[in-house]
Amino acid sequence: MWRFVINRFLLMIPTLLGVALIIFLLLRVIPGDVVEAKFMSGEGSGASAEVLAAERARLGLDKPVWEQFAIWMWGVVRLDFGISMWTGAPIGDEIALRFALSLQVALMATVIATLLALPLGVLAALKQDTWIDYAVRIFSIAGLAMPSFWLGILMILGFLIFFRWVPPMVYTPFWVDPWQNLVQLIWPALAVGYRYSAVATRMTRSSMLEVLREDYIRTARAKGLWLKLILVRHALKNAMLPVVTVIGLEFAFLLGGLVVTEQVFNLNGLGLLFVQAIARRDYTLTQALVLLVASAFIVVNFLMDIMYAWLDPRIRYR
Amino acid sequence: MNDRVSSGALLDVRDLRTEFTTGGGVVRAVDGVSWDVRAGETVALVGESGCGKSVSALSIMGLVARPAGRVAGGQILFKGRDLLELPEDDMRRIRGREIAMVFQEPMTSLNPVLTVGRQITEACEIHLGHTEAQARARAIEVLRLVGIPDAERRLRQYPHQFSGGMRQRLMIAIALSCSPDLILADEPTTALDVTIQAQILDLMKELSRSFGAATLIITHNLGVVARYADRVNVMYAGRIVERGTAREIYANPRHPYTLGLLRSVPRLDEPKRERLDPIQGQPPDLTRLPRGCAFAPRCAFAIERCRAEAPPLQSVGGSHLSACWVAQDLPQRSALSPQPSGDGEEIPSSRAQRGISR
Repeated sequence: MWRFVINRFLLMIPTLLGVALIIFLLLRVIPGDVVEAKFMSGEGSGASAEVLAAERARLGLDKPVWEQFAIWMWGVVRLDFGISMWTGAPIGDEIALRFALSLQVALMATVIATLLALPLGVLAALKQDTWIDYAVRIFSIAGLAMPSFWLGILMILGFLIFFRWVPPMVYTPFWVDPWQNLVQLIWPALAVGYRYSAVATRMTRSSMLEVLREDYIRTARAKGLWLKLILVRHALKNAMLPVVTVIGLEFAFLLGGLVVTEQVFNLNGLGLLFVQAIARRDYTLTQALVLLVASAFIVVNFLMDIMYAWLDPRIRYR
Repeated sequence: MNDRVSSGALLDVRDLRTEFTTGGGVVRAVDGVSWDVRAGETVALVGESGCGKSVSALSIMGLVARPAGRVAGGQILFKGRDLLELPEDDMRRIRGREIAMVFQEPMTSLNPVLTVGRQITEACEIHLGHTEAQARARAIEVLRLVGIPDAERRLRQYPHQFSGGMRQRLMIAIALSCSPDLILADEPTTALDVTIQAQILDLMKELSRSFGAATLIITHNLGVVARYADRVNVMYAGRIVERGTAREIYANPRHPYTLGLLRSVPRLDEPKRERLDPIQGQPPDLTRLPRGCAFAPRCAFAIERCRAEAPPLQSVGGSHLSACWVAQDLPQRSALSPQPSGDGEEIPSSRAQRGISR
């Protein structure tokens, strides 16, 4: 088991290195750079070539590409991501608060989705082709069909019209005022979590149906076990494997922020930052964000692998 | 005729009918079948795949896959109680406790994510109210009984750490754990290597004898029957076509289907034949059974009457029954072999017996 964990952990390093290299090169391939974006648009347009060259030199963009990469990588190893090429603020400061917010919304949405999906999926599988199954199906297909930002707009409108109330629009960190924080973030988490739960419900249902047809479930019934025990002990653990994948991937996706839903709820999360950073050709910030999201994906995948191993001894003992 | 000599039977199946509703119509997988098992004896249910033998066992356990399948009629009397009338929770108490089942596929019939110990102990905990320690002790005991060494360590392992033969031993251990009165073994050796098959069958025979448990063994292999069963029911297309002691069935088959089954099995105790004789044709479509005998289209001995009227199961000598219009005119088994073999000597006596009973 420990060898398995350590192996998995070491495999993360080359993956991250590959991601870093690709995003670094991609950014330099797309036309325009941060200096042009700064000076050539809006009022400042028409800055002289000398000014541009001086600014590039200041940001280190005049160095050979491989040297820029080496400087960046050396920083990353020391967990120093440099400063934003646009605002000049340290990258850590730019990202920290927004990441905390996106992480919290992602976690809350995951909890909501899991709490909805598991019971609904299992129920639908048990009551296959009855009205309960159909009701669950309609509920989850509606979730799939509605974009979460639109659901968010409906929620805010609903609050306004029926309760003459809107959720707080100013972010309060959890450690400052937990209640205020939850009252604000529960709504985006619900809007996102509903769609998320729809995917997981469908997966739970189909996976459960498949497992319930397995020979070992028949064996369990032949032993004279209660239905509840068969479900909890024999079926659920087997049925969870594909569900864990869906939930994990969706969670990792949410960590990258949600561009439109964040706007609807006036949240300053990673999604908006991402869009701005790319539009401004803010190399350092974009690189750091991509690396962060990639790490999140890899860490979530790593945790999923461990979860798999915990659920399925055939993986653990390989 | 005298279909029920079995007043004191442990399990008495009467006129059982189990149907499946499919896209192509209603399949009568088991179509009015009666047979019994007495305490402590081994009875075989023999036939090709799809003839209804497994469905018979699942009907007894109340595990026919719903909603497609259902028991449409008949009685299943176990210790005098009709299992079909029992509420689900009473039936649950009988499953695993009084009637246990060993399935065909040991590779898929054990739960891959639970330890072997967990899977053996749970039945005792539920049915016998064993504590964890008692159930564990019992699990170690049954593992030793089925010949799995190092039981304490093995209990903590998972099914994938066992070979196919070992897994079937585990299935038998699970079945034995609550000391049932009846074990239903559905093709217990089909998925195993030939070298392991005899081991498993010997083990089952020995254990059911020492436990005093009756066994219903479901198989398509008449070789298994000859060696392990006391009495044999041959099934074809959802019905019983022949019944008798293993000796009667083997030495003096009185149904063309049984004859065909016997001739399609290689035998080591007979002079080498040129080739095996498979039964010609395909098993019939159970949604569209012919009006007469279901076997008639494949039968070399069929007469006009066979196609018009289904033959009843009737005595061809004592408790030896056959559902065939020409049962008495069938050739002796040895006459079909190129050279008469040792078991030909029994035939005159059984013929004499028949003469008396007629």
